[in-house]
Amino acid sequence: MSDEIDFDEILGKYHSDPYEYVDIYASHTGKIHFLVKEGDDVDAVSGEWKHIPGTALFEITREKNPKKVTATTNGVVSVLCAEFEGKFVEAGEKLMTIRHPLKKKEIIEFILKEVLYIFPAPERAKYFFSPDVQSRVDKKGAREVSVKPGDEIIIMSLMKRDTPVYYSGEQGVIHSVYFKPGVSVDRGAPLIGVCPSDKLPIIQKIINKVKAEWDQND
Amino acid sequence: MNNNLSLLIPSILDDYVATVELPWRRKESALDSETIFRYGAFAGSVIRVYPSLVRAMDTVRDYIRTCEKSGRSVANGSLIVASTLSLSKGRFSRTWHAPPGGLWGCLLVADTFLPQFRNFLPLIPGIACCEALHQEGASMAAIRWVNDVLLEGKKQAGFLIEGFCSPVYKENYHLLGFGLNINNESFPPELRGIAVSLSQVLNRPIELSSFALSFLAKLRYYLGLLLYEEEQWLARGAGDEYLDDHPIIQRWKELSDTLGKRVQFGYNVMENPQYQAIASDLAVDGGLILKHDDGASSVEHSGEIRYCEEY
Repeated sequence: MSDEIDFDEILGKYHSDPYEYVDIYASHTGKIHFLVKEGDDVDAVSGEWKHIPGTALFEITREKNPKKVTATTNGVVSVLCAEFEGKFVEAGEKLMTIRHPLKKKEIIEFILKEVLYIFPAPERAKYFFSPDVQSRVDKKGAREVSVKPGDEIIIMSLMKRDTPVYYSGEQGVIHSVYFKPGVSVDRGAPLIGVCPSDKLPIIQKIINKVKAEWDQND
Repeated sequence: MNNNLSLLIPSILDDYVATVELPWRRKESALDSETIFRYGAFAGSVIRVYPSLVRAMDTVRDYIRTCEKSGRSVANGSLIVASTLSLSKGRFSRTWHAPPGGLWGCLLVADTFLPQFRNFLPLIPGIACCEALHQEGASMAAIRWVNDVLLEGKKQAGFLIEGFCSPVYKENYHLLGFGLNINNESFPPELRGIAVSLSQVLNRPIELSSFALSFLAKLRYYLGLLLYEEEQWLARGAGDEYLDDHPIIQRWKELSDTLGKRVQFGYNVMENPQYQAIASDLAVDGGLILKHDDGASSVEHSGEIRYCEEY
């Protein structure tokens, strides 16, 4: 991570275009039938237990087995690949883009993800700190806990199968924790953000700057 | 009552599979049972029986470390059983009482599974145990998602799987810990009313070694089936996701009493119950589909349930 961070460039980017563009792909091969059109508003998953599905985006049918795919983020359908309507597509084909309006907290998280080392979830599962790391977090707080490659830091829990997850990334302190015990994390989603301890003041400066700039411009 | 586990040796397990389990499977299933047993033959290829241990899982970890530090690789399917465990525990460090008379141990399984198939592994010990109980005469045995085995609504067996990365060769293993209440009939106060042994339910002593052979033979079959179905899936052309109706899921549904019940769900349901819903089905990947009171459905892949009638 560089000591020199161009705040103006980073903030300017989010001021001029405060959106995240989420591409939606076919999860497997199948015939596509769209359930939304370009410009439609879509809702994310909701409910106390995140059990109410988001807006149905499309149906993909393979071997007479139709599956509805729903939105996981709210926003507007900004691009729809309508040429695939009624067609058979391969897994990984891009089908649409959802333009999701970013909140201040999300912008801070996005910027942090650019400057922290992000350690991702290896599988969709529930995660919790290993007992040793948890006791250090409880005693001192996460930002006082340092990690290095090879450390057993997190336990992945899936179908009553608990697997230790070993850290691989830059040595540093745990700046951000993105998982909550008992809440599922998608594969590839961030688990923790790590930065060298001497860079903590810079990170804090970024957060303060974003907060101040955004409030000023809101 | 014979609680002697000395008959638990690999050659006797091989004989049991060949003379008892394989003929029964051939009769009961259209699948290629001989090939499936060949694929599962690693389970119990090494068996170490101890009179007493602190925790079987810890012993297996030590065993792997010792083997690797002396330049050897540990045998996949190594099994450690003990007549008693002095400091055994369940998930979330819950009490697990392991006196003489029960079947306590840990099976080491190398992580050679495709990612799409790993979720089925935790379903296997519950199925194997439930089938062994049925054969012993306890036809009321049923599985509660994920793999608790209940007799008359009380827990007879529990399983947990922990991952372990070996220190020298960096091999990943699944340590499949098991605790089956067989002839042990006294439980500490905190477990009375919620735990039960097979002998209590059948009102007769059980030949522990025979039961263990039956349970292990079934473990072999279902571990073999997991590998066999992987091969079949690859031959069918595979894909990113496994969307077929896995025979392990089919068998789990036949042996479980979870589906259709109103359940309390929680990651640690005893300490932090989260919500109630109807367990409506099992997803193709083994997740539990829960239908909420507002009509919405969700799928849980991690956590545990209790039946609402237990509350």
